[in-house]
Amino acid sequence: MTAPRVAITGLAAVSALGRGVQAQLAGALAGTAAFGPVRRFDAGGRRVTDAATLTDAGTLADELAGAVAAACHGLSAAERATTPLLLGIHGHPDGGRDTTATTAGFARALATRAGLAGVARIYTCACVSGSTAVADAAAEIHKGRSGRVVVAAGYLVEPDQFALFDAGRALARDGAARPFSSGRNGLLLGDAVSAVVLEPAGAREVLAEVTGWGRAGDAHHVVRPDPAGAGMARAIEAALRRGGLGPDEVGYVNANASGADGDSAEAAALRRAFGAARPPVSSTKSVHGHGLEGSGLLELVITVLAAQAGKLPVNAGHLAPDPACDLDLVLDGPRKAASPHALTVNAAFGGANTALLVRAA
Amino acid sequence: MTPTELATATLPEGTVPPPLPGFVVSSFSPLAAAAADRCLTARHGNPPAAGEVGRRTAVVLLSGSGDAPMAAHVADAVDTGTRIGPLLFFQAVPNSVAGHVAARWGLRGPVVCLCPVAGAATEGQAYARLLIEDGDADEVLVVTVARTAAHAVLIGHRQALGEGE
Repeated sequence: MTAPRVAITGLAAVSALGRGVQAQLAGALAGTAAFGPVRRFDAGGRRVTDAATLTDAGTLADELAGAVAAACHGLSAAERATTPLLLGIHGHPDGGRDTTATTAGFARALATRAGLAGVARIYTCACVSGSTAVADAAAEIHKGRSGRVVVAAGYLVEPDQFALFDAGRALARDGAARPFSSGRNGLLLGDAVSAVVLEPAGAREVLAEVTGWGRAGDAHHVVRPDPAGAGMARAIEAALRRGGLGPDEVGYVNANASGADGDSAEAAALRRAFGAARPPVSSTKSVHGHGLEGSGLLELVITVLAAQAGKLPVNAGHLAPDPACDLDLVLDGPRKAASPHALTVNAAFGGANTALLVRAA
Repeated sequence: MTPTELATATLPEGTVPPPLPGFVVSSFSPLAAAAADRCLTARHGNPPAAGEVGRRTAVVLLSGSGDAPMAAHVADAVDTGTRIGPLLFFQAVPNSVAGHVAARWGLRGPVVCLCPVAGAATEGQAYARLLIEDGDADEVLVVTVARTAAHAVLIGHRQALGEGE
């Protein structure tokens, strides 16, 4: 019996680029960064005061519920009631101030509100939370062990993580995230709330397929990426192997790069995994910022939309080439895609790496 | 064949773990690292982990409330306008100590942190099986951290190091 193909049948996203998936695609293709002064809370005492925030964003609970509802549009109440939730999140938004506020309780409330069949797993693995959830869901669907699932992940810029990133001198001082660029000096945080419906292909209209996935660790450092990019390269190679694709068949890579020093490690990983193939690369964190636990899923959504549109997002904020980041960057307006196959790559503290390979329907 | 428990280590309630350089304020990360060390020592002796099996070992960290003392410390600092030390940035997520364990032992499989929904033990076992059966890891170190206790279990197929069943 043929293994089920893993279909994406629902997509939803909210970021500073706007509400809805078309706002994400339009912003990513235009390459217009959404950074500005933070007004959601008082960032006045911080070294950096910029981020990419959606002006009318609600609470994280409300935005996640909205994203799940939008992604599940077209599913009946009965279908939702048999669909479990996989959630990527830092923790309960009130967890630092209310000891009774549990992450599991937050996730259960979201599932109940969305009419879903409870919570299957909660991922708290920082910037690979959503992407790891998708990899796991795809693995289980492909093995015939899971039916339809909803993966949701979210982060809204808030004062505690902002303060930590500021204290760690991780934030860009010049108001722009400049992935892979010479002169980059840090990342900027951004809102990122997304939801994706995954299921065995066949029952409903397929927007795209998840054809490959990979997860691997650096075993290098507590937070710094392996400069040789070996772990990320293994995640990419695993995704290509599962997808049955050669490196020269991938038409776009949505990179993890945030504008931090570690972008060069990702460039090394991409060169290691793709060799002479040199696929077009951009990091859409350059326009929507770093959405932490929400980043991987938002970037998957944008990767799918770009593959569907046949147009590649711009790597915004680029000043000049960095020899340590020698890649085929999409710098000059949205480029036409040469292949329906696209890869999105994510990395996190702890040396965690993921790669998700998709094919536009 | 179902993966089995290859080694375990338990730090009982009330354990005061040895300090872990670079990790401050909270015992969450030191507890995780100490339980992981004890479990991996039982399997591999001194670090790093042996050969190909070590390279294909995943680190999975489960905690219901994450590093709650750290989160409370940061929230209080933000609310009172107190300076936040740069070291806290590096332990902002549970991935950090998972990465410490992976780097110390040379474990190059996936690094994943989960908040258990039902039972941590059941969920950890099931997740380890998922990673092994999917092929991104041969063995999975599952570390569960509670407030002052931790448990680590290494899950895999017993033949992996050439040992008999």
